[in-house]
Amino acid sequence: MDSERLEQIQNLFHETADLPEAERLPYLQSVCANDTELLDEVLSLLAEDAGPSSLLDQPMGHVADQLLADPAQPRQFGPYRVTSLLGEGGMGVVYLAERADLGSLVAIKILRDAWLSPARRERFSTEQRTLAQLNHPSIARLYDADTLPDGTPWFAMEYVEGLPLTAFCRQHACSIERRLHLFRAVCEAVQYAHGHAVIHRDLKPSNILVKEDGSVRLLDFGIAKHQEALDSEADLTQTGLRLMTPAYAAPEQIRGERASIHNDVYALGVILYELLAGRLPFDFSNRTPTEAQTIVVQQEPERPSAAARKAALLSASDSSWADLDVLCLTAMHKDVQRRYGSVEALIRDVDHYLANQPLDARPDSLRYRFGKFISRHRSAVVASSLAAVLVVGLVIFFTVRLAKARNLAEAEAARTQRIQQFMTRLFEGGDEAAGPKDDLRVVALLDRGLQEARGLDAEPAVQADLYQTLGGIYQKLDNLVQAESLLKLALERRQALFGSNHPRVAESLVALGLLRVDQARFDDAEKLVRDGLEMSRRTLPPGDPALALAASALGRVLSERGSYDKAIEILEEAVRLRSEGEITPELASSTYELANAHFYAGHFPQSGELNQKVLAMHRQLYGARHPHVAEDLINLGAIQFEQGHYPEAEVLYRQALEINQSWYGKDHHTTASNLTMLGRALVREERYDEAVDLLQQSMAIQERVYGQDHPRVASALNELGSVALKRKHLDEAEALFQRMVNTYRRANGDRHYLVAIGLSNLASVYMERKENQRAEQVYRDVVQRFTTALSPGHLNTGIARVKLGRSLVRQRKYAEAETEILAGYGILTKQTSPSVTWLQAARQDLITLYDAEGNSEKAALYRAEYAKAAPPKK
Amino acid sequence: MCPENSYIGDGTGSVEPVTAEQRRELDRLFSVTYEELRRLASTVRRGDPSATLSPTALVNEAWLKMASSPNVSAESHLHFKRIAARAMRQLLVEAARRRHANKRGGEQGIVFVTLQDFIDQSKPYEDQVLALDTALEDLARLNPRQAAIVESRFFGGLDVAETALMLNVSEATILRDWRVAKAWLARELRRGA
Repeated sequence: MDSERLEQIQNLFHETADLPEAERLPYLQSVCANDTELLDEVLSLLAEDAGPSSLLDQPMGHVADQLLADPAQPRQFGPYRVTSLLGEGGMGVVYLAERADLGSLVAIKILRDAWLSPARRERFSTEQRTLAQLNHPSIARLYDADTLPDGTPWFAMEYVEGLPLTAFCRQHACSIERRLHLFRAVCEAVQYAHGHAVIHRDLKPSNILVKEDGSVRLLDFGIAKHQEALDSEADLTQTGLRLMTPAYAAPEQIRGERASIHNDVYALGVILYELLAGRLPFDFSNRTPTEAQTIVVQQEPERPSAAARKAALLSASDSSWADLDVLCLTAMHKDVQRRYGSVEALIRDVDHYLANQPLDARPDSLRYRFGKFISRHRSAVVASSLAAVLVVGLVIFFTVRLAKARNLAEAEAARTQRIQQFMTRLFEGGDEAAGPKDDLRVVALLDRGLQEARGLDAEPAVQADLYQTLGGIYQKLDNLVQAESLLKLALERRQALFGSNHPRVAESLVALGLLRVDQARFDDAEKLVRDGLEMSRRTLPPGDPALALAASALGRVLSERGSYDKAIEILEEAVRLRSEGEITPELASSTYELANAHFYAGHFPQSGELNQKVLAMHRQLYGARHPHVAEDLINLGAIQFEQGHYPEAEVLYRQALEINQSWYGKDHHTTASNLTMLGRALVREERYDEAVDLLQQSMAIQERVYGQDHPRVASALNELGSVALKRKHLDEAEALFQRMVNTYRRANGDRHYLVAIGLSNLASVYMERKENQRAEQVYRDVVQRFTTALSPGHLNTGIARVKLGRSLVRQRKYAEAETEILAGYGILTKQTSPSVTWLQAARQDLITLYDAEGNSEKAALYRAEYAKAAPPKK
Repeated sequence: MCPENSYIGDGTGSVEPVTAEQRRELDRLFSVTYEELRRLASTVRRGDPSATLSPTALVNEAWLKMASSPNVSAESHLHFKRIAARAMRQLLVEAARRRHANKRGGEQGIVFVTLQDFIDQSKPYEDQVLALDTALEDLARLNPRQAAIVESRFFGGLDVAETALMLNVSEATILRDWRVAKAWLARELRRGA
């Protein structure tokens, strides 16, 4: 059957469906003539139309209800036999089960219909991982986890027989002191979780059980979050999707802001309120969810003391109540900045209360203290408040752990071994599972590694090595703040251990120098790396691999800061040092840097040749889908781009992007700069909508990773500016280019050629506004800058002279214009393909000026050149 | 004859592949819709045994939640409903497939009694849903618009006016297409029996 036949059948159906029964058959028989199949088709449709209902007439709800009804659940999970149902929710079912051999009771949680959605499976396994990670007497423990034969995942956890916190206090008529001790135990458990970068997000009395012996257990990490995981957009959406219990949700949670430890502090405040006042701070019983949310965001609760007096449950002195009011209302303050900054701070004030000491949370002192916190951690807070929380949390956790006596020797052996395994896996490459694909997992491992490293105080040399290595990994993962603190620690430890003239110290200097490159602090970078290289030369025999490493690093620094000739010299030395024997990653790396230096110096043929070599080496060393291979493709793309071969560049960039996105994910600086370059190629191909989309994605990632004043942000600004210019959004273009110039000046210094590129683009905006004289002045400056920063014969100098010429043509200064354009034309024809837009523009300007001067012979010459280079009409 | 039959499909044809972004959106929606369905199902079962769940109510509920989330507000309600219909179709087809496989494996027979007055008592829903899915795919090749109409109306609970707006045709066309497509699919289901 085809569409036409169907249409024929359906049309006959419509023509006859509403005819009286008796007229139908004769009519159809006459129309269908000998086509009995057609007749049968139409008749069968008419029969269905008149006949009994089908599935499509059923309410979909019935169908869904039946298909999603529970199949019988197995009674056995591994060694556990189910004895009863404990509870049921949207996510899954919780059973009480008995372990056959031991007779012990556990709670089994299963994910119902696991096949349904990856997002649910992910959430379930996140809960399981979270529990596995948390090992605290007040947090219900994970015992076991597995999957049933039909794919249903389950885990067994501690079964807690007890009462919800509020019910326990009511039933035992607990005093204020007893309540505060129980509350403090809950806080400690939450603080422990925060120390592991886990936010609970659903704290409420029903998730906190108190056992007969008076010990508390925190349950249900079903929507708990790792702080690192909170950056993803999907997470924000999920938070928004969740039906919140507004009673314990903080105002910022209701506003849909990103989850943080402050949400947990707020929820603890509400729980404390409930414990003191005997009721919730707000009454939602007759409110719609929207009204409830408004109340949480806007209304101040009654003081707990006043509510408690009405209930006449608990008694305390007036001054005690005053302190309890401050304690409770500070914990649940609507303004995050005036809330306790951490659970630890809350615990401190609970302790102050119990010890009858003044609270920290007096209004003035709190602000003072918060200000102190910010100033102590300014760089961390600015770079990433999450990272700061993480570091603070880890330090606290580590301190707690140190306090516990342990069998040191045994633990250390295990630790060292674990770290070695971890490092090996991360560095050997080729093991995709350990690669940065899943950043979260790497970060989790890394944090564990860092904790282990901090425990090695007894062996400072090993500890320094670990800090050095971990710093390098954090740098790779773009956590530059963490990387800096670790690399500095490593350097300090080594200086203390080995003095100021030692290969290890040299290694640290070089590593810190390379971090400074990432931070765009090039003066520091060069000094550190040069010191490191000098020290290596003094302390190591010639031919030691560390010498080539330091030389290569210096080459990179010089390259990054634009001193290409010096860079090429030192890099050629590094390549020579590494060229003996087989192909090694180090040789590839030095060759790569050398190819880059040639590229930036404008030596495209040399750079292309070297890059092809590096590409071959990388494919041999790492396989075809490794990020190094992507980098080489990008470099080759850039060479095409610089020579005006945009479609060729686009192909190479897309090949690279495919590798980078699958390796790093979509939110990584490598992916971002790859996006920028692809965007640039698309801009040149005049595919603006695609380009702007890619460039904006890229800039958002760059600003997050590097901060606003980084050259990479400037590069994205430049491209967005170019698109704005092409679209005649002139004010926007001017602002973008101006920001770009300023950013490059701060990062690279005023004499850097990138500043000149920014200025040249700014002048293009003036040209577009017909401010020709202003443009001319800027272009003259730009030509001068390129001539000194690059060379008189450099491609950029050529382009700038062509542009300068155009500004002169517009002012009818034909003689000066001719000189400039012809000079630029000469430079461009040597280095680019004849159809490059700059050359075509130059030809047009020459035609204009020769026409104006009446030189018809020369005008005709360039008309012919122009026509020859023009792309064929479509 | 009917110029609107030149309709090719603008992403609404059910044979078109789902993009990665749509897949993620579907997945988010699956989770919400499904869990809401579950929550309601357990309430309903405890309360009124004859009550059923309306997909329209579920989809509206899910939309309200999505719409209040700061990142989704730009999405149009109709687009959302379209995606929701597809989500519901995939969800039910997946569920039917698993039940079907379980049965054939004979490991844990699933026995349930249909209380509905139903045309084909011998054929359980899972077989019918699977057959409908196949027949819809065939129809989508022959007439994508009709397939889109059935998917939106049956699986998504869209009404005639919404379906017309979404596909940019008149309500009369929707009614006409719906009637013939229903007859067509009913016959395909019967033939597959």
